[in-house]
Amino acid sequence: MTNDLQNDRQQPRVLGRVVATERRPNTPHEFHFWTALDSPVGIGTIVRVDGGTPVNGVIPHIYGIVVEGFSYTDLQTPLHDVLGHDGSPSAAAHAPTQRTEIRLYTAAVLRQMPEEPLQPVPMGEVSLANDDDVSVALRMDGYLKEGSRTGIPIGVYRAGGTDAPIYLDADFLLGPEAAHLNISGVSGLATKTSAVEWILSSVFAHFPAQKGSVASVCFNVKGPDLCFLDQAGDIDDADRALYEKCGVEPEPFENVRYYAPFKADGFTLNTLRSNEALSENVLPLTWGLREVLQYAEVLLNKDDVDAKADALIDFIRERVVDREFSDPDLLGAKRHLVRSFADLEVWFRDVLSAVERTNKESWRTHHVATIRKVRNRLSNISTRCAGLVTDAGTVSDLPFGSFEDRTVYVIDVASLEEDAQDLIFARVVTKLREHLEKRDLGVNHVVVFVDELNKYAPGDGQDTYVRKMLLDLAERGRYLGLVLFSAQQFRSQVHRRVVGNSGTALYGRMDADELATPGYAVLSPAVKTKLATLEKGQLMVRHPHFTQPIFVRFPRPAVMRGRDGVERFPQASDLSLDAAILRSLRTLDPSITINAVQELLMLHDEQDVIRARNATMREQPKDVLKFFRSQLRPLIAAQPVIRQVAAPIKSAPGDDPYGF
Amino acid sequence: MQVVEELVAAQDTSFRAVQRQLALHLFGTATSAGSDAALDAFISASEPPRLSEATLIESGPMRSRKVPGEPEVRFAAFLDGTQSSRIARYSGGIALIHGTVAAVVRARRDRRMVTWESPIIRHGLYAPRKHLDRATNEALDRTGIHVVDTSIDDAGPGLAVHPFALRDAAINRVRRAREAVEQKLAEQWCENEHDPLFIDGGLSGSERVAVSASSVGVVKSHRTLYAEGTALQTVLALEAGERSSVFRIAPAKRVPVASWYLRLRDAHARDPMWGLVRVEIAHPVRADEPRIGERADEVSRWILAEASPLSIPDARWDKMVYGVRDCEEFLEAIT
Repeated sequence: MTNDLQNDRQQPRVLGRVVATERRPNTPHEFHFWTALDSPVGIGTIVRVDGGTPVNGVIPHIYGIVVEGFSYTDLQTPLHDVLGHDGSPSAAAHAPTQRTEIRLYTAAVLRQMPEEPLQPVPMGEVSLANDDDVSVALRMDGYLKEGSRTGIPIGVYRAGGTDAPIYLDADFLLGPEAAHLNISGVSGLATKTSAVEWILSSVFAHFPAQKGSVASVCFNVKGPDLCFLDQAGDIDDADRALYEKCGVEPEPFENVRYYAPFKADGFTLNTLRSNEALSENVLPLTWGLREVLQYAEVLLNKDDVDAKADALIDFIRERVVDREFSDPDLLGAKRHLVRSFADLEVWFRDVLSAVERTNKESWRTHHVATIRKVRNRLSNISTRCAGLVTDAGTVSDLPFGSFEDRTVYVIDVASLEEDAQDLIFARVVTKLREHLEKRDLGVNHVVVFVDELNKYAPGDGQDTYVRKMLLDLAERGRYLGLVLFSAQQFRSQVHRRVVGNSGTALYGRMDADELATPGYAVLSPAVKTKLATLEKGQLMVRHPHFTQPIFVRFPRPAVMRGRDGVERFPQASDLSLDAAILRSLRTLDPSITINAVQELLMLHDEQDVIRARNATMREQPKDVLKFFRSQLRPLIAAQPVIRQVAAPIKSAPGDDPYGF
Repeated sequence: MQVVEELVAAQDTSFRAVQRQLALHLFGTATSAGSDAALDAFISASEPPRLSEATLIESGPMRSRKVPGEPEVRFAAFLDGTQSSRIARYSGGIALIHGTVAAVVRARRDRRMVTWESPIIRHGLYAPRKHLDRATNEALDRTGIHVVDTSIDDAGPGLAVHPFALRDAAINRVRRAREAVEQKLAEQWCENEHDPLFIDGGLSGSERVAVSASSVGVVKSHRTLYAEGTALQTVLALEAGERSSVFRIAPAKRVPVASWYLRLRDAHARDPMWGLVRVEIAHPVRADEPRIGERADEVSRWILAEASPLSIPDARWDKMVYGVRDCEEFLEAIT
């Protein structure tokens, strides 16, 4: 077998012959050929045609991919077969001769060599493409040259004896020439998320050093999908062979950091990765007033934020938050320093009280009704996004400015309300963009992975801040190094400009209804059928360098699957306050004991303790317990209460039982 | 697969090429262009139908016999030939006919048909040179095309000069050329193989083939019927899966063969000849004559097994087995 393959490589075995008729001619972009019945050719197979007549002194070689197949016999109508077997299907098995049968294929041209003059495909012999042919056919030879190699393996093309790695061009995957990757496929086949995990591994392994550093921010939007990227998963020998072929180590991600908001209790992280054994790299994600106010429009719908309300929010953002505010005319000598939602509530209360007291209808052109409305909406944010947004203004954020190369930052928003998810998307992506524009993020390129794009950037429905942000990212991100890897079940339901700007598109197994939509009209019926029946681990790839979609196999990601992770690392039950505080502080100082924490907790109220914990986690001091203690409000020594005994008005006679 | 193209090697001998050559070399002579229409149908339809008495080999009078047992797949290969005759040009009102003959043996392997050895294709220009003027004959020589002189068939001084007679003579020569290539392949098979060969047509043209135990000839046309009177009625009344008694055919100057009629399909409410074939095998030596009936039953079972698949859309599908149709399709593709 090995010898056969070697021989095949030296001199390709002829598998078929090009045919053309007046009714079905060959063109510069399409040709037809027939093969033996047992040939390994199928839909998606890449073939090479060697022409017979030199053009300008050069024998033309044409590379094509099979997009359609036909099979028929010399039977004129099915009825003849019925007659021939007396209406008995089982009798057909006894026929001594099988009818003459043809396998006729249509192939779309991938590349013609030489490329000029572009002529219809000539008659010639057809053979399977070998590794080198695949490289030429897909124009990968242009970016796999030694010294200027920018190839990122995406999988392996397999047909007959050919097992060729397929590379994407990093310049067209992560910018600046083109960028973004979009993947579609039905749910439940472990294709979309697995493919993205594998491609991220491949990007981290092969991203060219001359192009700088790269990190990834992944939003975990459902279940435990991305919660165990740093844990090794089960892969088999076939997967290992694919990893080896693609030059990627079958290892989980080395550097992963998890971020999750707290639950409403303010001290339990709202993530499925809550097992204590994995808590080391799980960090809280909490924002205060300042962080949220900039993205207030994410949380407030258009009915809320009319022009008047918008003006007041701008006023608060510019003139009230984070600065000393005074208004002698209305508030007299009282001064406000608004740094949290709690401070803002006090400010609103004072302003409204003063306005009511003076019987004014407006203050600084803002009608009192508008002030009440904005107060209501803003105050509500900390309730709606409890756990993410804190009244106290505590901030625990991604390390904008100190992102690290080849690191994955996972933000677990799976259990959050939609408002909180939107807020996180908006703020994180905006901050990434701002830092990349200023070139101070810490890395040169960031891959943002968003699943369920149907939901966040739908093709119809009202325009949302998140959709606008994703559109902006899709259209301008490549210049900044901000790259969107997105996934969804139904590509047709995603905003056209988002998927349209994805230079690379991947397709897993597709739903037949989805394939019937106009977006797939360019695919042949056979390719659609293949897409509708694609196995796990197979993808159809469209990339700017490939003139036709290519089918590849990719290995299972070498990380633990979400379901396995949840079984192996069960979610911790909701912690008591002291256990939660202990767990947080132990990530900074493992020597801290539960007794030490409990002693402090007995003396302070819950909010005070949480605030101190947040401050400690933010500061990460050397002496953790000492710093934590210092953040608690000082205790005032208890004063003994002396009961004053009131003197009777008149004393009752000792023998007067009624006291009169 | 190597195709044996004979007569004019290294020269394009296709119909169009020959037409061009003739137009070039006969330019200025009294000639006119030919026609694309195939002529072969004329001659086959014009053979007079006749009855011929045959001597029975099998005991008893001519009668129908049910072929016992189940159909049995034994044929290893099928042989057939094709011919094509078209008028390349007229010279002085005489047709110069381009003839192509071809033959192939298609062997059955794993229920699929493949070509055995090499098919044979022969092209030629069939012309009655005695009836052509000198200039035309000289022009024909200059073309380099292989010319078969059809005038050699002429007998005596009363030479038929009716153009149709000359045309028929040419077509007959083409037919003989076709039979020759068929016989050549059949002889090759009989020399080299031992498995049964299904030959479309009779066996008696070649002695080597006619005496071989591995050749079976199956004749579809019944312009000559080897039965008369009640015997004929018996033959025409054969039911599907029945055969007639075996008889001897001994044409003049040819090798005698054993033959019988066999009904392949139910002809109820159809033409009496429908599904009727005549089978030829090697004539048994005298000692084997008593067992000729068993041999006929055996070969009949082989032929009945070939009734499926149908050779539709060929109009002769009632009599033609699929292997023979495959030979014809193959030859049509390469000629």
